[in-house]
Amino acid sequence: MRTLYFAAGLTLGTAFTAQAADVTLRYMSWDAAQIEREKPAIAAFEAAHPGVKVQTQGLPVKDFWPRLSALAASGDLPDVFTMSSGYIQQWTDAGNLTDLTPYTKDLDLSAYTKSAVETGQINGGLYSLPLSWSGPVLFYNKNMFDAAGLTYPTGAWTWSDFLAAAKKLTVDKNGDGKPDDWGYSVFGRYAQVDGWVYRNGGRYLNKDATKLEPNVEAINTLKFLTNLVLKEKVAPYPKDLQGIRYQDVFPMGMSAMWVDGSWNINNVRTVAGNKFKWGIAEIPKGPDATAETVRAYAWPDMFSVSANSKNKELAFAFIRHMTGETRNATDFLGGTVPAFKAIAAREAWLERDKQPDNKEVILKIGEQNLYTGFSRNWDAWRGYGASGSGGMNGELDEVFNGRKSLDEAVKSFTTYANDALSR
Amino acid sequence: MSSQTAQRFTWLAFLFLLPTLLGLLIFRLVPIVGAFVTSFTRWQIFDKPRWIGLDNYINILTSPVAAKVFINTAWFTMIYVPGVIVLALFLAVLLNNSLKISAFFRGAFFLPYITSTVAVTLVWRWIFSTKFGILNNLLIGLGYSDPPAWLADPIWSLPAVAIVSVWKDSGFFMLLLLAGLQTIDPGVYEAARMDGAKRLRQFFDITMPLLSRSLFFVLILALVRSTQTFEITYALTGGGPNGASTTLAYFVYENAFVHFQMGYASALAYLLCFAVGLVTLANFYVRKRWTHE
Repeated sequence: MRTLYFAAGLTLGTAFTAQAADVTLRYMSWDAAQIEREKPAIAAFEAAHPGVKVQTQGLPVKDFWPRLSALAASGDLPDVFTMSSGYIQQWTDAGNLTDLTPYTKDLDLSAYTKSAVETGQINGGLYSLPLSWSGPVLFYNKNMFDAAGLTYPTGAWTWSDFLAAAKKLTVDKNGDGKPDDWGYSVFGRYAQVDGWVYRNGGRYLNKDATKLEPNVEAINTLKFLTNLVLKEKVAPYPKDLQGIRYQDVFPMGMSAMWVDGSWNINNVRTVAGNKFKWGIAEIPKGPDATAETVRAYAWPDMFSVSANSKNKELAFAFIRHMTGETRNATDFLGGTVPAFKAIAAREAWLERDKQPDNKEVILKIGEQNLYTGFSRNWDAWRGYGASGSGGMNGELDEVFNGRKSLDEAVKSFTTYANDALSR
Repeated sequence: MSSQTAQRFTWLAFLFLLPTLLGLLIFRLVPIVGAFVTSFTRWQIFDKPRWIGLDNYINILTSPVAAKVFINTAWFTMIYVPGVIVLALFLAVLLNNSLKISAFFRGAFFLPYITSTVAVTLVWRWIFSTKFGILNNLLIGLGYSDPPAWLADPIWSLPAVAIVSVWKDSGFFMLLLLAGLQTIDPGVYEAARMDGAKRLRQFFDITMPLLSRSLFFVLILALVRSTQTFEITYALTGGGPNGASTTLAYFVYENAFVHFQMGYASALAYLLCFAVGLVTLANFYVRKRWTHE
């Protein structure tokens, strides 16, 4: 009997090896530069799995989604692909993703940032593993703070601390009645606005994210931001900055403070160079927030496995390897935080030799309650990417430009959003 | 030719036409029918289409955002079509002679049409830029202290897109009109001159009537093109601010390839097709009144 088992095992074993000898795992990403950085990690995976070849393809984001969608329609999805928090719900509902739960028996999910894992947990299944996460932070120009005799922002800052500083930092240098240095700068974009809203306990969506119903806290936040331009005059009209990429306003030294995604750290390093010293802080907490309602805005980038993959187990092993502890902290640029906590905790990730010298601020954010704020058709109602001039984004810019009242704008973006959510 | 050879000839002709016909069938007719069927579904490309009847059409026709897009498209057409025809006609008449220098200018005015849209639009973006743009610096230099934020202004952004489109396309229409002008017998002008007709009189009483067929062709082409503007919008304003320069073709793109609402986008495309068809039909109907056969 034992011999029989042995023989069967041997046969199975041989069969598996024979099959494994010519397995090609297809991996597609929205970031070709990231694939370059991943090359050593991919090579290590191939070395540990003899006979397995990983075929990579990197596309720019705007081409990635149409291509991936077309591949899904023709039943030819790659085994592994990058997945964003904005689309995972729709992709899971469409049945394109593999539930990874059966493969995670020996995987300690608590090694990953909690809310990054939760984004992939849909309808009781696990449809992705997080690679990294990022979220908006307050950038500040130390030189301008020093010149105004101000202390740097901290996580304990309130809205009034922020406003007082912004007033002092708005300076008319040549006496023409128009400020040359601005304390702050606003845009209607999600990365500039929504961090403020969630830090004030605000929400746009209802509980199950099926309807847009901005709560009082959210409206108060939008009012506060509007007043920074129209009433307090510590921020310029967005229209006056047209022609400058919004992510360059801060590194070009035009605004002493600025809120943007932590992923933008790399761009600030490149554009600002050594022209001034700068740091980052948490977005000031709003007066309406309670311990229960306050959220830090952050979202993960993830890996998913196709529902049609012929090598699901292998594909899972691959994403486990790519997100796991063998990765280098330096594979993650600037403000992109490795979702695997042990990597983020390494001294190398803090990059002490570069600006900002306080990247641990981002790690502290990761310990809080995080909120992605996504729903189905988020890109449509929020106004994202090529549709950035529409939706909530476009309406808020009108408000900040002083051309539309906030009440009117809220009314029209709520109607539009609920139309988009119902489709 | 006997009837048998004629029949063989027809079959042979079809054989040679086959690649083109197949191409048309597969790459034109199938998508056209496919899009029509899709317009009655909710389909995100990556999921299974779901039949929803007329919902997409009802949704579009009751949406204030879509209404604004239709108005923008009409507004764009009203600026673009007269703009591009008048400019093209002016250039064509100006260059309709045998001077050496005219050959150079024909090429020069045609150049914008064949340059990369995105590249030249980026230059225009810089020209229109609020603070660093050459246009506003010029205006400030002329003493106009508060020039508009062209591309971030709901009143100016759509005309800005139209201006760049007129600039880019007029060389192409100029060429079509030049071809029309060359067919006019110079003897007619000579006779008019001898009768004492001035240049302006010659233009309105000879050039315009004899060019009317070319003009009609140019008008239809310009009308159709005006509803298809996409690349310049994409690179210049992104449809903004707050959708002020979003025209139908751009809105179709947004819904199809940014929001993945294929059914909704297909319905939009069919409404666009219907509107263009209607306008073209109306043109053919009134054509008899003004074109000179």
